[in-house]
Amino acid sequence: MDLDTDVPMEDVSDDQQLLPLIGKESVANTTTNAGALVNDKKDLHPSSINQLDEWIEKLSRCEPLLETDVKRLCEMAIDVLQFEENVQPVQVPVTICGDVHGQFHDLMELFKIGGPCPDTNYLFMGDYVDRGYYSVETVSYLVCMKVRFPKRITILRGNHESRQITQVYGFYDECLRKYGSATVWKLFTDLFDYFPITALVDSKIFCLHGGLSPMIETIDQVRDLNRIQEVPHEGPMCDLLWSDPDDRGGWGISPRGAGFTFGQDISEQFNHTNDLSLIARAHQLVMEGYSWSHQESVVTIFSAPNYCYRCGNQAAIMEVDEQHNRQFLQYDPSIRPGEPSVTRKTPDYFL
Amino acid sequence: MEESNKDNNNRKQRQTFAKPFLVGSINAIEVTQAREMSRLHTIGRLPARGSKLDVKHNTSSSSTTADTSSTSSTTSTRSITSTGSSSIVSTSTDFTSTSTTPTPTVSVPAKSHQGACTNPQCNCCGQVIIPSPQAVFPIKEEPSISVNDWSIFSVKRPILNSVEIDTLNDTRFEFPLPEMIFGHSLMRIIHEPSGLHIEFNAVDALDSLESDSNLKVSYHEEWLEARKKKKEVKKDLDVLKSYDWTYSPNYKGSTSLAFIPTNDKQIPIDRLLQPDPILFFDECVLYEDELGDNGIGILSTKIRVMPTCLLLLCRFFLRIDGVIFRIRDVRIFIDLETNQVLREYKLQEMAYSEVVKLVTGKTDPKKLFRDSNWVANNILVILVTTEIATV
Repeated sequence: MDLDTDVPMEDVSDDQQLLPLIGKESVANTTTNAGALVNDKKDLHPSSINQLDEWIEKLSRCEPLLETDVKRLCEMAIDVLQFEENVQPVQVPVTICGDVHGQFHDLMELFKIGGPCPDTNYLFMGDYVDRGYYSVETVSYLVCMKVRFPKRITILRGNHESRQITQVYGFYDECLRKYGSATVWKLFTDLFDYFPITALVDSKIFCLHGGLSPMIETIDQVRDLNRIQEVPHEGPMCDLLWSDPDDRGGWGISPRGAGFTFGQDISEQFNHTNDLSLIARAHQLVMEGYSWSHQESVVTIFSAPNYCYRCGNQAAIMEVDEQHNRQFLQYDPSIRPGEPSVTRKTPDYFL
Repeated sequence: MEESNKDNNNRKQRQTFAKPFLVGSINAIEVTQAREMSRLHTIGRLPARGSKLDVKHNTSSSSTTADTSSTSSTTSTRSITSTGSSSIVSTSTDFTSTSTTPTPTVSVPAKSHQGACTNPQCNCCGQVIIPSPQAVFPIKEEPSISVNDWSIFSVKRPILNSVEIDTLNDTRFEFPLPEMIFGHSLMRIIHEPSGLHIEFNAVDALDSLESDSNLKVSYHEEWLEARKKKKEVKKDLDVLKSYDWTYSPNYKGSTSLAFIPTNDKQIPIDRLLQPDPILFFDECVLYEDELGDNGIGILSTKIRVMPTCLLLLCRFFLRIDGVIFRIRDVRIFIDLETNQVLREYKLQEMAYSEVVKLVTGKTDPKKLFRDSNWVANNILVILVTTEIATV
């Protein structure tokens, strides 16, 4: 059947050699635990600002950047991201967002609902690529915004910001389709290694893509990790990007044979140990766009409405104000006039 | 798809390039190109034996019954397939005799359709328009059609919300449900005079799962070993209550028809290869799970209704990266003239490493591995059974 289990890839050139699944070792031995470095970063040169504004303007029309521009952008982004911490501090007020998955037009809707950046501060918890049709434009746009307004927007790493996953779920193929080679895919996946893996909002809300790890009891232990590497198959960094909360208490191993689930007792203990009010995470599709777990000690936020263009779910973002009040903003997909809300299937003579 | 997803910014941009008097009009060149694209697209989807379309389209076109309130005209119409396929070379004419079959009685929406119908018939070709011309959110599509004594309903709704999932977990299922359950979507075929029916829905399919699965993800050993070595892990680590996390159904549809096994009947492929006009075509996903990004498990249904017969395919497609491929197909064929119903059940399975060997040349294997049709055509068949029912 011609179901959209993934993005359509009919025009991928067949003579492209599939890159081997490289378990890339750490790119550099950079240790990034020094928060002091953030202040040392020089301000953007005016010409860079102009350049970035041009790129943002182009991307906001959903037009991808030239390959040479992506290369420059990624170099600029590494300069910014390598100095961020494993636990990147974020100030209130801030709007916290979940998975976007290449749904570019819905990301534009998100900025309409939440208010334009940099007037509103944003924290994204990963999964910018794969699934949707515009992963290239989506991740380019967010990275541009990050370089242009580094103090106003925080972009964390999700489990899809990895070499291995993007080869299976669409971003790799989209890069081949839009650029004719895997260069842009390589530039971005190399850049993903520098993304911070967690953020701490005003010392109270711990934000990350997946969930907790049995090897992490304190936030300081996250600070000790070497994050600049491909997402590993096991270990604390893997857990932080992959694990899920569960109704059952304690730690559980998924029946799939890998991956953890954590119960309410674990969440409450972690919040108590680290003096937190909340763990905010993404990673799981929820019909309402957000979902509370563990008696409001964990919240799941999902920001891709009508996920995969067929789920019909709402999306949500969470605003946290100066007094730490939280408000959820839910929104529907950006239906464009004259377009059906489900994918049009051409009748075919299937057997 | 990308073509149609232009936002306002994009449109604005385009207008700045257009000359003022051209705004709002359509360029003739664009129309020609669009037609050509559509022609090429249609050709690719026609059966290999396609031929003699121009002979057929008048006799097999649909007409509506008097009681229908739909806007479609009762005039004889051209088949959609006939317009785009004139370049197909005729290879055989042995089935042209079917073009003399009596015109079926067609009604849109179906005779027993409840509520308003937003999926009218196309005035031009007689096909039911799916998806509905008007976008609605939340998604709600309920197209239907009656052909002779049979009515076909397809319902598409959003995934279940958390309250509905909690209710299912409290009342019916003890295991974690797939992350996307289209619990209100279904595909239903009813024989109107007798009320006998067959239906495909997510919840009944989930009822048919095994209680366990012996499959694990590819890096299971590595992951578990690493956990055992780590001394920091002092806590109890229990595997959650086991269940079939692959969500592989043993489901042949929810039905009141009395099927009996048959050895001498098979779904008549030759009739399905005939390029009869398709009056109704739809597909809907029943449930889907990304298996924690280790592949995909998806149960979906697809139907096409022609003037004299229909084919429904309910397919479960499983790919666990590095581990296995699995397909479980149910096909329902109904002869709309003799009222004979055939049900074929087909199981296929093959180890991932074996399937990798089947990929030749420079084709991107991952692209093929996403295509359930390619997988179904290439992996081992374990079992095929056919059953028959008559009303």
